[in-house]
Amino acid sequence: MSLAEELVARHEPALRGFGTSLPEELGLAAGELQGRLSAEELERWAEAGVTLARRSLRSWEAAQEYFRASPAAAEALAAPELLAWAEAAGSLADRSSLVAAAYLRSTPGVLRSLPPADLEPWARQGERLCQGSWKSIALATIFYQGSPELLESLTLTQLGRLVDVVEALAERSYELATRCLEAAAPVLAPLSPADREPFLEFAWVLTRASWADTRIYFERAPALLAQVDPAERTAFLELAAQVTESVGRQGFPLFAGAADALRGVDRAEHPRLLGFAHRLASASPVAAMEYLKSAPAVHERLTPEQMERWSDAGLELLLRQRNVEGAEAFFRLESARAEQLLASLSARVELTTVAPTLRLYAKALTGQPIAVRPVEELADKGIGWVAGAATTEGTAIYLPAAVSSFPDQSDNFQIYKVFATHQTGRIEFGSFRYRHGEPGAHTPPAELPPAQAPPAQAGAAPRPRLDGLAGAPADASGDDPSPAEAERPAPLTEMQRLYDGFPDRSLIAALFTVVEDTRVDARVAHEYGGIRLWLRRVQEAEAARRPDARSMPLRRAYVEALLRASLGRPQSIEWPARHRQPLAEGLAALRVVEQADATVQDSAAVAAAIYRLAAVLPNERLAEEEEWLPLDEELLTIAPPMPSGEAADGAPQPVSGEEAFESPPQPDFRGDFKPELVQLLMRMREGAWEGEGDGRGTPLTAEQLQELLENSTELMISEMAEGDLASTVSLFLTNLERETSLPSGGQRPQAGERGGEGEGEEEEPPTDEPAAPEIEYFQYDEWDFRAGDYRPRWCTVGQRASEEGDLDFYEETLVRHHGLVTETRRQFELMRPESFRKIKRLEDGDEIDLDQAIEFLVDKRAGAGPLARFYYRRNKVERDVAVSFLLDMSASTDEEIDKKRQKYDEDDDFDGDPAKYFQWLAQRRSLRAADPPKRIVDLEKESAVLLVEALEAIGDSYGIYGFSGYGRENVEFYVVKDLDEPFGDRVRRRIAKIEPVRSTRMGPAIRHATHKLMDHDAKVRILVLVSDGRPQDHGYGRDRTEKEYAVHDTKQALLEARRAGITPFLITVDKEGHDYLKQMCDDIGYEVVADIEQLPRRLTTLYRALAGD
Amino acid sequence: MTTTREDTRATGPGSGFRRLAVEEFRLTAEPYYVEIANEVTLFEHAYEQKIPVLLKGPTGAGKTRFVEYMSWRLHGRSPEGAPDEGVPLITVACHEDLTASDLVGRYLIEGSETRWIDGPLTRAVRVGAICYLDEIVEARKDTTVLIHPLTDYRRLLPIEKRGELLEAADGFLLVLSYNPGYQSALKDLKHSTRQRFIAIEFGYPPREQEAEIVRVEAGCSAEHAAELAKLAEKVRNLKEHGLAEGVSTRLLIYAGKLMAQDIAPRLACQTAVVWALTDDVEVQRSIEEVVSSIFPE
Repeated sequence: MSLAEELVARHEPALRGFGTSLPEELGLAAGELQGRLSAEELERWAEAGVTLARRSLRSWEAAQEYFRASPAAAEALAAPELLAWAEAAGSLADRSSLVAAAYLRSTPGVLRSLPPADLEPWARQGERLCQGSWKSIALATIFYQGSPELLESLTLTQLGRLVDVVEALAERSYELATRCLEAAAPVLAPLSPADREPFLEFAWVLTRASWADTRIYFERAPALLAQVDPAERTAFLELAAQVTESVGRQGFPLFAGAADALRGVDRAEHPRLLGFAHRLASASPVAAMEYLKSAPAVHERLTPEQMERWSDAGLELLLRQRNVEGAEAFFRLESARAEQLLASLSARVELTTVAPTLRLYAKALTGQPIAVRPVEELADKGIGWVAGAATTEGTAIYLPAAVSSFPDQSDNFQIYKVFATHQTGRIEFGSFRYRHGEPGAHTPPAELPPAQAPPAQAGAAPRPRLDGLAGAPADASGDDPSPAEAERPAPLTEMQRLYDGFPDRSLIAALFTVVEDTRVDARVAHEYGGIRLWLRRVQEAEAARRPDARSMPLRRAYVEALLRASLGRPQSIEWPARHRQPLAEGLAALRVVEQADATVQDSAAVAAAIYRLAAVLPNERLAEEEEWLPLDEELLTIAPPMPSGEAADGAPQPVSGEEAFESPPQPDFRGDFKPELVQLLMRMREGAWEGEGDGRGTPLTAEQLQELLENSTELMISEMAEGDLASTVSLFLTNLERETSLPSGGQRPQAGERGGEGEGEEEEPPTDEPAAPEIEYFQYDEWDFRAGDYRPRWCTVGQRASEEGDLDFYEETLVRHHGLVTETRRQFELMRPESFRKIKRLEDGDEIDLDQAIEFLVDKRAGAGPLARFYYRRNKVERDVAVSFLLDMSASTDEEIDKKRQKYDEDDDFDGDPAKYFQWLAQRRSLRAADPPKRIVDLEKESAVLLVEALEAIGDSYGIYGFSGYGRENVEFYVVKDLDEPFGDRVRRRIAKIEPVRSTRMGPAIRHATHKLMDHDAKVRILVLVSDGRPQDHGYGRDRTEKEYAVHDTKQALLEARRAGITPFLITVDKEGHDYLKQMCDDIGYEVVADIEQLPRRLTTLYRALAGD
Repeated sequence: MTTTREDTRATGPGSGFRRLAVEEFRLTAEPYYVEIANEVTLFEHAYEQKIPVLLKGPTGAGKTRFVEYMSWRLHGRSPEGAPDEGVPLITVACHEDLTASDLVGRYLIEGSETRWIDGPLTRAVRVGAICYLDEIVEARKDTTVLIHPLTDYRRLLPIEKRGELLEAADGFLLVLSYNPGYQSALKDLKHSTRQRFIAIEFGYPPREQEAEIVRVEAGCSAEHAAELAKLAEKVRNLKEHGLAEGVSTRLLIYAGKLMAQDIAPRLACQTAVVWALTDDVEVQRSIEEVVSSIFPE
């Protein structure tokens, strides 16, 4: 009997109670161990197993693992260590046999990474997690199970840190802790060894600061860190930990934001960015992270050196001026200082800054209002444009959002100008005014292949041939007109008529584009001598990066050659020698439109002529050995502008292997040219569908539109929408209608400078009864008192006309307050200034003042050397006052006024007259019966009525506005009566509709009212703000409860108004008003109306005081 | 306001100036004027028929030049004038403090006497001159009423302070000018006033004609003149869109004159057009861009 068998035999009785397998396991293990251990050691080993099995109810499970793992463990462990190991397992088994089992099972794996001495601390780590509950048991089990893998990448200390994290998490949620623990190995393994410790340290800090974020951290960190330069990850993690230590919950979002931002920056820059962030971190960890977050935006606009100067300015703010909030706003790019510096350092020119200039520029050039928009916006409209290339749709030009081609701002602006001039050139020089069948300045009407002409226009256009260019009839092309041809709906546009005549629409469209762009460029160069230089530079730059023509099918290469010629670089053309003739003629034809007086008709005729030349070329890629030659001198200097010679005979034959024609890419500044669509839009804008007659004025039918959609090469239906054609057509039609029914340029916020105007004001034709209120948008800065700086373009104010109610309210108020009305009217009329004032003692004037003249003569006789001042004149003193009343329309004005105090105005002047008294009494009774409880807003409305009555008497220009809104992007500004708007029923109706809406963001409302007042010509300008409480709004302050921010911003807005020469005044019905008004108004006038009911009366009195003299 | 009859030409070193009584001013040389529509004929007939004329139009469109031209053209019709001289022309630039006595006249105290001095309008009435009240809406409204009796069949000027009625001499004609563009509603012409005049509208001349005018007046090259006229057309597109008034022909001529003196075209336009037109930086910038598009560096 072997030693092992003996052991089994001896212990079997004890073990049998725990299950049949246990003795077997013992036997197997003993068999393997007997060579390694002495008999005595083996005996003790086996005893330890038995002890373990007996230790608790289920500890036999641990014993089983003990036996199983022992052979492997014994390879690393000496006998005493083996026993200590068993002992450790035993103490674990006291808590949970499952945990002990996991511990034992994992030990061999762990021993691959740890020395035997570390087994004990490792066991302890797991023990910490095991708190007795079944969840904690599961957690500890997972820990031991995962340990071998974890220890492959972690040291024991690091693993301890992970346990810290998991343990802390477990206090909150076992589930979270489990997830993190499970995620740890796959997350940590790919990290470089040096990064693991900082990774865990950050996890530890994060767990303490914001435990819920830890799981997200484990989940997202690998992806986030992958964006950071590998060498900088440690630094980044350390920074993140430092930041989180100080900001707590914000730590993870900042970390994630910064990591995402770093992706946008070249990795080579990361060390520099992180180095700087570390410098910031000591003073403001938030600033450091914000700096990283802003890095891509800043980096995009600045060179590294410029960026250094920019960030140094922020650092200076932080370290020297110790303005932490300011620096944070600076690096968050929410400070005017930061933006200004950025703009002044950057060479990049942004559309938002140049759009106002370009808009006026385009208006000057074309004489019509033209909006300037970023290209992205057009694609969003779903009216046929998809790509992001510069373009125009007839009323607006669409330009790239920024230009940074040159290291100099003014050069980049010149690029913009070339873009804008070309796009407006299409409008100015009539690219969209093509009329089918009309001759050009140099050419007869565009000639179509006769058989292809659609029936609708047959006979409409005379078709003399273009001299010298014998067209090959395209009907021989085998592209038979379908039988349905006769039923094709009438073309919608003139362009369609032209294109319909050609079998290959893409080809004619591409040719027309090249030819027309050539014409526009030539016209621009001719008309605008000053821009010629830059046009040429841009053209050259474009010509230099044209694709290689040799790899193109021949017809495409042909168009490419023409394009290069049209960019003024025919030298760069390479062309197969055997097809020389069509190119020679094509180039000659192109010259026709380069003449100063060429029109779009010429372009069409030339395009049609070139079409015939191009159509005969097989659209195939030529063999490698084909010889491509640069143009010879002769071709470069073709003398006659009009081409001569015959086109190759024969129509284009579809050749097998021929590719469908595809236009070469367009130069950036020319971008997209879609005359068909633009003509469609123009017709819809003009509302021509309602007309009748020549087929040009018939209503737009779905069939026609479908025809256009199917045929036009300007539309990519597949790109426009998924789904069937019918729904695409209807969606397209809806989009078109929405687009064309709106005046262009309206309805969208427009970025502008502070106090800048939206552009709607000039583009909207006056409409009598707008169905939906037209909203004009304005942007204003907001004052961040902590940063001591403005947040640029922070608030968007949407100005709209107030809704109209009925007239009854106005009339009723007049009746109800007739006493007060008469009284204030009278008082106001007294304010009317003397129209003339006598000015005496003048040396020269209208008339001689007798008294002064006598005095003069007396003095003279007396020899007193008198002053000859005896004239007087009457000077007219004109009252020149403009006042804006700004009414708070916040929800709180909905509050009812205490009923008790609602007594009727005792001041009604029925002084002792019983008739009047009874009249009043009756009136009061009926009012009481009909009157609903009064709210603050009702008093505001009544005040408005009273003011209107009074102000009409005095003749001052006045505006009444309401404001409310929610959030900074949505400040609502209601126009009840504009400053220069005449008073009428509309105003009366609007007053009735003043209703409580939402919050009170006073700052932007004041700024907008200021802006409006400044636009109004008056000597005295007054702004009266009527409110029921402190300013407050969503995000108007650091958090919900903070009031400081709003008060400071409002104060700043009031100061701005005063700096602009406006007298601001605040009046509030909030009894607690004194405390914040004192701070807010400083030395600006304010009043707290204690008795709310007195508001109407006080307002009028106050106005007299303010505007009296 | 004192005038003496005898002084005509001051002599002596450094004094090449002439001193004239207002009613003695006549044009002796033909002013340059290009007829745009048929305003010359119209004016001649109005003069013949003694119908007062209101010239409407933006500033710098040639209203004043037109009146000068007409006064020269109508020479010989004035009873007192020599055949080669124009009708006397008295121009009053109206301003908001212009009062009735500034036009009619006033008493002065000389020694211990008072002496009556005729105002420019009275003088024009006496000698039969064309009286041109420039920018009439600028004048105080009470002043404009004064001219009413002069403008109808009566042709009378009441001089209240002297208790006189002055009947206008034969050649007298009242001409007003007025710029409907920039004045606010406050400064509109009263209907009782405006309906006493026939009105001639002055617009900016068409591009070719304007180029010709600029060329002749400024003495610059035809190319520059053409470019200036083009610029004017573009800038005028901005009226009501940032500009209260388009660029005047007068400013173009100034720019042309600078160019004729070899000032760089862009600079000439900057000073004579851009800065002269507006203070709005945004609009300035846009016009600058138009300028730099038209004129090469």
